[in-house]
Amino acid sequence: MVREVSESCLDNLLTEVVSCYCNRFYPNKHDLAARRIEAIGYQVGHQLSERYTMERPRFNDHLEAIKFICKDFWLELFKKHIDNLRTNHRGTFVLQDNKFCWLAHMSIDPLADSSKSADGSASPTAGNKATHAMKMHLYFPCGILRGFLSNLGILCAVSADILTLPTCAFTIRIKA
Amino acid sequence: MIVCVAVVGHQNNPLYIQSFTEADDALKLHHIVHCSLDVVDERVNNPKKTGPLLNETFLGLLYPIENFKVYGYLTNTKVKFILVTTDLDVKDADVRNFFRRFHAAYVDAVSNPFHVPGKKITSRTFAERVSTIVKSFGLSSAV
Repeated sequence: MVREVSESCLDNLLTEVVSCYCNRFYPNKHDLAARRIEAIGYQVGHQLSERYTMERPRFNDHLEAIKFICKDFWLELFKKHIDNLRTNHRGTFVLQDNKFCWLAHMSIDPLADSSKSADGSASPTAGNKATHAMKMHLYFPCGILRGFLSNLGILCAVSADILTLPTCAFTIRIKA
Repeated sequence: MIVCVAVVGHQNNPLYIQSFTEADDALKLHHIVHCSLDVVDERVNNPKKTGPLLNETFLGLLYPIENFKVYGYLTNTKVKFILVTTDLDVKDADVRNFFRRFHAAYVDAVSNPFHVPGKKITSRTFAERVSTIVKSFGLSSAV
């Protein structure tokens, strides 16, 4: 499959944005960096929602909007569908993507893993640091989802978890 | 002839109002647009069985007033477009076409990173595109 130049440019830009906000702008305040990155994603999602819902008739309920995200919106952004959607029918939706493209080129440093057997106390922090670093990259897509839904009138909170690289799950909690 | 187009946000805040007549009745046109917002809400909440479907974007003729006709269009993001025209024989397809092009111009204006959502649209490009669309309204039907 041919990879477009703009895809690589966007990947690099996002990596650099996360690195800038975490290391240069707000060096020890990761919460603040995360909130700023999420706010950028919020504006992007807001504007994308205008563009991608243009051709469609209006949504009847929340489930239709979430299904639109899983199929058409994800297809426009990442050229694939969401692989798994779960809901508790009470306002919580979990969208699972088995190969999230912005995590696809990341890996955890194997040295950190090999030190597990050698020194039990050092490795949990190394492993945690890696997961923490990867989680920072997920704030931007969380912001996109929140911005998209809020422009449709659906207020929600979006969080993300990494299951096993590169699978990740986005949890959308709609405020009743 | 189109006398006025308006874009109203989801909290009924005006985002863009432009009148195309030389006469100085901008206030009257604003008033007409304001009244039509109620009709839009009513149409969306109480769908008529013979009217357009509940979730269609184009709402059709809202109501005739004096010698004007008012058409409405509601997007997925709860933004309303209002069109006021004095034409007597307006075709449905023409109005739909108009709203489609207007929606495209609106999406481009909102995608501007310097545009603040909820504030008025101040883009000159948007104003020019809208006046082009307004000028070509109904001309295709004359051919």
